[in-house]
Amino acid sequence: MEPLPLTEPVLLVLLSLAEQPRHGYSILKDVERMSGGRVKLSTGTLYGALRRLLDDAWIERIEEDESPRDRRPYRLTSRGRRNLQLEVERMRHLTKLAALRIARKEA
Amino acid sequence: MLRFYRWLLYLYPSLYRREYADEMIPVFRDAQADVSDGSFKERISFRVRETWGLLAGAVHEHIRIISGSYQLISFTRFNMRPEFRFPRSTVFLMSIIFAGVILAMEKANTIQVKYGAGSGSIWPSLPWFLGLTLLFTCATVMVVWGILFGLGRTGAHRLANIQPGPNRTN
Repeated sequence: MEPLPLTEPVLLVLLSLAEQPRHGYSILKDVERMSGGRVKLSTGTLYGALRRLLDDAWIERIEEDESPRDRRPYRLTSRGRRNLQLEVERMRHLTKLAALRIARKEA
Repeated sequence: MLRFYRWLLYLYPSLYRREYADEMIPVFRDAQADVSDGSFKERISFRVRETWGLLAGAVHEHIRIISGSYQLISFTRFNMRPEFRFPRSTVFLMSIIFAGVILAMEKANTIQVKYGAGSGSIWPSLPWFLGLTLLFTCATVMVVWGILFGLGRTGAHRLANIQPGPNRTN
């Protein structure tokens, strides 16, 4: 399945989880850090995105006995990782194309 | 603010609240602690962002539940299903806007014909018109919200998912 272009917040959430499993607050801070403070997610937006990603099986909850209910970590599924790779590939192609076009215009 | 946040969470469908509210509250508390030492602007920005995020999220969740699937109504391109590249809601909104523009042009034309060019201006009535339109829009949104919220509370949307049980023969 070829994924649609993702919004920047969703892409950042997925990238955050690509590195390691994280819980909500950790995702929030990591997204802010990755975007240089430009993208600040609200909790409503974050959990809306997490719910949809869970529904689409792009991410999953890690059910650990020792983790409290309010600190449940999430991780990427293999499907989510594959779609994220496709999205990054699409962006890489676009960036390469843009660089070529700009260079051609300048020359 | 935490009390207000908890109150806003009640706008969400109960299923969603049961699943995520326990997680959202501590995350909100931590995020609030982060900005508590920030400037006045940062704190206001945080509150506005959180309030708006919850309101938009609650509306989206209610509509998703009422419609039975979020494929039917798509607000953003976040919808990751490839078969819906152009949200139907956009077509609907564009049609309404187009009808509004046509009506406004027709109205302006009628006024011009009635009063003649240069004999008056429609601009003094414009603020009233805009104000009334805004009021009407707000009232409509509130009514729709009330209906959706009421339907969500009754659980009517779950009737479609009821599986018939096996036939009992005595």
